Amino acid sequence: MKRVMAPISSTKKKLQSLDFDAHWYRRVFHAFGSSFVVYYMLPDTIEWIAFLKMWVPISVLTLAFFLEIARVQGVISGSHFFGLRMYEQKRVGSYLFFASGIVILLYFFPQQIAVPCILCACLADPIMGEARYRFGKKEAYAIGFLVCLLFFVVTWYKADLWVMMVAAFIGSIGAVLGESVNAWWLDDDFMIQLTPALLLLMFLIGVEAMGVTALPEPIIYPSLLPW
Amino acid sequence: MIIMNTTKMEYIKSNLESKKLLRTELLFTPMLILVPSLVSIFLINDWYVRGFMQGNAAFDGELMLGIIIFIGNMLFDIPFLRFLVKKRRVTE
Repeated sequence: MKRVMAPISSTKKKLQSLDFDAHWYRRVFHAFGSSFVVYYMLPDTIEWIAFLKMWVPISVLTLAFFLEIARVQGVISGSHFFGLRMYEQKRVGSYLFFASGIVILLYFFPQQIAVPCILCACLADPIMGEARYRFGKKEAYAIGFLVCLLFFVVTWYKADLWVMMVAAFIGSIGAVLGESVNAWWLDDDFMIQLTPALLLLMFLIGVEAMGVTALPEPIIYPSLLPW
Repeated sequence: MIIMNTTKMEYIKSNLESKKLLRTELLFTPMLILVPSLVSIFLINDWYVRGFMQGNAAFDGELMLGIIIFIGNMLFDIPFLRFLVKKRRVTE
C-alpha cells in the first residue's frame, strides 16, 4: 500500500506546486511588462534605435498572434505554453491582449497617457487579483483604484493641480472599469489599458477645445546613451 | 495557500508535459526578474546623473517611476522565487 501511495502523494505535491507557481508566474509576467516604459528612454535621434523602436514591438506582436492562432487551431500543442487558464483553451491567450494593449499605447498615445495605463495593467491588475483572493471583490476594486490613482498622479504631477486631480480620477475609474470587463472574447488585460487611455484622450480633447493646455511635460526623457 | 476554486480560473495541467513546462518557466525566470530591475536602475541612474547632480527637478518623475517599477516587481518576484525554491526541494 505504501509503495502505491508514495508516488501518488509525490505527484500530487508536484501538481499542487505547479498550480501555485503558474499563478505566481502569471503575476511576475504581468509585472515584467512594466519594463516596456524603457521605450521612452531610447532616443529617436539615433537611426538604428528608431528603426528598432518602430519594428520590434509590432514584429513580436505579430509573432505572438500567429503562435496563438496556431495553438487555438491545434497546430501547436497547448502544452507548450505555461500558465494558461482553462478559458484560454479555445481562445487566444490573455498575453496577446496584454501585448496588443501595450503596443497600441506605445504607438498611438502620448507618453503621459501610455505610461500610467501600462503600469495599471502591469502592476495594478495583479495587485487587484491578489486583493480579490484575500479580501473580496469590492475591496480589490477599492485597492486597485488607489493604486491606479498613484500611477496617474505620479505621471501627471507636472500638470496644473486641477488637471492632475481630474486626470487621475478619470484614469483610475477607467482602469477599474476596464478590469471589471467579463467577456470571453475581450480580455481585461486589454481593457484595463485602453479604457483609461480613451477616457483621458477624450478629456484632453475636451479641455484643449476650451483653449486650455492640459497635457503636462513627459516624465521620461530620451537617455543620453554613451554610444 | 491560494486555491483556484473556480473552473474558469484553473490552469491547464498536463502530467506528461509538466517537466518540460517547468523547464520553460525556469528558463524565463532570470529575464522576468532582471529586466525590470535593470529598467528601474536605468531610470534612477538617469534621475541621479541628469536630475540630482545638475539640480534639475524635471527628472524627478523618472525617480518615482523607477521606484514604482522596482517595488512593484519585487512584490511578485519574492513570492515567485520563494515557491520556485520550495518546489525544487519537493521535486528533488
